[in-house]
Amino acid sequence: MMDVKILAFGRIAEITGRTFTIEAGDTDSLKEAVGLRFPELAQTKFAIAVNKRVINGMTAVSPSDEIALMPPYSGG
Amino acid sequence: MMERNPRYDRHYVLAGFGDAAQDKLGTARVLVVGAGGLGCPALQYLAAAGIGTLGIADGDSISLSNLQRQVLFGTPDIGKLKTEIAAQRLRSLNPEIEIAVFPHHIDTANALEILSQYDVILDCTDNFASRYLLGDASFLLNKPLVFGAIYRYEGQLAVFNSAGQNGIACSYRDLFPDPPKPSDVSDCNEAGVLGVLPGTIGTLMANEAIKLITGIGTSLSNRLMTLDLLNYDQYIVEITPKPGTESKRPRSASGFRQTDYEWLCGTAVGDIAEVTPEHVGNILRQPDTVFIDVRESHELPRAGFDHLSLPLSEIKNNIPETAFRNIIVFCQSGKRSLEAAHLLKRKFGDAKNISHIKGGMIAMEEHDYGKTD
Repeated sequence: MMDVKILAFGRIAEITGRTFTIEAGDTDSLKEAVGLRFPELAQTKFAIAVNKRVINGMTAVSPSDEIALMPPYSGG
Repeated sequence: MMERNPRYDRHYVLAGFGDAAQDKLGTARVLVVGAGGLGCPALQYLAAAGIGTLGIADGDSISLSNLQRQVLFGTPDIGKLKTEIAAQRLRSLNPEIEIAVFPHHIDTANALEILSQYDVILDCTDNFASRYLLGDASFLLNKPLVFGAIYRYEGQLAVFNSAGQNGIACSYRDLFPDPPKPSDVSDCNEAGVLGVLPGTIGTLMANEAIKLITGIGTSLSNRLMTLDLLNYDQYIVEITPKPGTESKRPRSASGFRQTDYEWLCGTAVGDIAEVTPEHVGNILRQPDTVFIDVRESHELPRAGFDHLSLPLSEIKNNIPETAFRNIIVFCQSGKRSLEAAHLLKRKFGDAKNISHIKGGMIAMEEHDYGKTD
């Protein structure tokens, strides 16, 4: 597994910073790693986009990918 | 072609728009659900653009803290129904369109009937229960849903249930299959919001509605745009159908009517009684009663009546015993107090009467009650 680049939005970014790197080989291990490093986010639901496409199942990731974590917003 | 109306001259002469697009607006029916931060600007531009029939659904009344961003309303309107004042302003802006008013919240009993009368729905609501309800209802009815949502300085914009170039139409559940946990949710009351943000996102929602109706440009169908007002960073991602969403939402009208979105989204009050700010004074005089502030100790304003301080973060670790039988918890907006009340209920069961103050300190301030500097 290698470090991948993450772009975070909304409340997630307030906890992680707008960008960070984390070791992961796929989106499942990525979610787990995020929850371990940031326990406040262990239960948080968010959409994951890999190269600007929202994933719809476990997806392999590599250091060349751009990964975005997007929580739902509710304000109006 | 309809007769030209000088009101829309700038649309008639606009290359790529013209009479044909204006005529489509004139026969369109658009429903705006929520006449708040997003709804106000969306309604203004849709009315100005000459949408034939504009529906407004909202059960709320105008309060002072709305005026920082809800630009259809003025200070003398405080306490009046949002739908009533919005309709009044929009009729003055454009008396040549039909405006239909639904002065109550959209719920599972009325949603399908109301939504089915419209071509395009705008989700300008401010909570997840309404957003999942509207997402599922518009999916069931196969109505395009223009989605806008905001958080502090960032807005999300998308169009659901509208086929993109590949013929696929994704829904809100394809992006966010399950509602988040209540502890992950903060609304404008609690998180704050830059007033210009809903103005910007609401205006873009009107733009998406106009694009859907007239066919101009490329809509955000199957795409989610996030816009950050602090630096204008814009991020657009593509949404694709997510397997398994069909098991998460109601499959029929009757299934929809039986779905409890408040409960699904963790906002159900359940067996926790709500105290409205007006009644706090009465309860203060009740025997065997304690008020508990569950905000962190640094949070202001302080309550101007006798109370204990026990932050939610501590309640999660340990709930101390108390001799009082009646416990009333409160926080800033009523969200954390509800969570605290459920934790207390779990510990004390029926041995105590647990209630929380609806709307918290914000609502009490608006009633000018219970505040000290």
